Amino acid sequence: MSVKVEASHGGIPHGKIAAAGIIIALVSLYIAVIGHEVLGFDYFAFFGGIAAIGALIWGNSAIKRLCSYGIGAGVPSAGMLAFGSGLFGMFLGIAIGAMTSVWIIPVAVLVIALITGVILGWIANTVLNMKIPVMIQSLAELAAVGALTTLGLRTVAIGGLELEAGFVFVAVGFIAVAFMLGAIALQHPFNACLGPGETQDRTNMLVIECGFLSMIIMAVISFVAVSAVAGWISLVIAIIGWAVSYKKYIALSKRDAAAWLDAKPFVDAEEE
Amino acid sequence: MQEIIIGIGVTALAGALAAVAGAAEDTESNIGSQGDPNSQVQLAPQMGYTHRIYNKAVSGEPPAYTLWVTLACGVAWAFLMMGMNAILAIVLGTVLATIVQGVYATTAYLGRTASLSKFGQPVFTDVLKSVTTVTMGHAFVAIFTTVVICYLLATVIGHPFSLPLLGIVWGLALGAAGSATGNPYYGKERQYQNQKFGAGVPISASGNIVRYAEAGQRSSIDNGFFTAKFGGPASGLCFGLIVFFELWRTVLFEHYLAGWGAVIAGAVIIIIFMVIDRYVEKWARENYGPYTEA
Repeated sequence: MSVKVEASHGGIPHGKIAAAGIIIALVSLYIAVIGHEVLGFDYFAFFGGIAAIGALIWGNSAIKRLCSYGIGAGVPSAGMLAFGSGLFGMFLGIAIGAMTSVWIIPVAVLVIALITGVILGWIANTVLNMKIPVMIQSLAELAAVGALTTLGLRTVAIGGLELEAGFVFVAVGFIAVAFMLGAIALQHPFNACLGPGETQDRTNMLVIECGFLSMIIMAVISFVAVSAVAGWISLVIAIIGWAVSYKKYIALSKRDAAAWLDAKPFVDAEEE
Repeated sequence: MQEIIIGIGVTALAGALAAVAGAAEDTESNIGSQGDPNSQVQLAPQMGYTHRIYNKAVSGEPPAYTLWVTLACGVAWAFLMMGMNAILAIVLGTVLATIVQGVYATTAYLGRTASLSKFGQPVFTDVLKSVTTVTMGHAFVAIFTTVVICYLLATVIGHPFSLPLLGIVWGLALGAAGSATGNPYYGKERQYQNQKFGAGVPISASGNIVRYAEAGQRSSIDNGFFTAKFGGPASGLCFGLIVFFELWRTVLFEHYLAGWGAVIAGAVIIIIFMVIDRYVEKWARENYGPYTEA
């Protein structure tokens, strides 16, 4: 049984962040579906990126909660695990959507990924005997985050959620890019801000920055599959979002840093 | 016959490219301070040793390089599908991957350093400006050469995987080779030049990394300057041999026993290397260690 060590005190509780993340992700995905199904254009592809950011905010909070049980070195692994288990939910959810209706896909992906995560968490806690109290819930959440993020980035790349449109995504291997972009973007914010002085708003700003950065790349790739207008809309929104969040993140780092020095030597404690 | 000759040519070229990639990767990760030696850089301020070393805590090198290379491969592949010239597509893909690498490096340095504010570790903006660009330059070389290897595999050799999937495989291999081969030279040797040679890192010396250079305070670029002489080439040799033997056995033996020839050749190569490794390890231990009392 591991001992819980709080990563950072105070701030918005995990439940609220998770709820906000799920709502942002699902609403954004449904706006993309409305654009593709009802309005008949793919200009709303960029909402996939917003969905990915929502899911990443949720995932970052879940990683922070899981890693407060003394598995600091496992932060990058948690990102990989989330996306590895999430892919199953994403594929099955899309396949179910192909058999029924495209409107089911976001919810189906979320539910199937949660179930996958629960099974993995149960295996980790009982079969592998890790006995971490939040393991089952955290792995379920991370699998759902992985699935929703990949689904979001996939939407940016191909403009819709349908199975048919996604063949180029899988066959050409763009899914590999989405997988790695999402996995590193999921683990990086908490991993980078790790330490006694970690603050929630700075870490969350980094999540948003990583999300937009991943969206820039998917927007560049999207020119293969979506209309040029949709590609440019995604790219411009991603670049603006990234620039704003990057600037804000630097400002927050400046706020939290012990000192902000330019071309000055450090002063040793003994020398003072 | 012609197919085999072309295959051998590609093997030699890919091996040479991989040697460059490995050397650049290790130097990049040491200048940025990534991977396991970075735990000491992270620990130093907590033990009272303020320093001017970079802190590129993106993740371990294998996942990080998997992302950079996969990303470059994916973007290059997208540009190729849009009908762009191959060299231009690969260069543009690599440029985008390098920018992403640079952004991740800065956010990692800022994030980790700001979270150490309790221990008085300042953020040095000159370090951020000078070191980030140097790591980006080395990363460009490492990513470009690896993407070219993947492109050769996909187009000339006719590998069944698409370019981004090859990027995952070879990016991971590149990061693993650089991490396993190059890191000890940076982590155990360069960071602890103030300890007795071969002493390992005693608990009492944890975080007490070398922070002063020949003149002034040590910067991460000094670390790259040092490790580029041995750790970098050793990593290059490692990754070069991995790529060379992998392609060599495939090109020469895949037509035997319905493909199993290449598998058997791979197993034989591994066994030969295990024997060599064992011999080198025994020889090194007999000649240099274990550390005895003076």
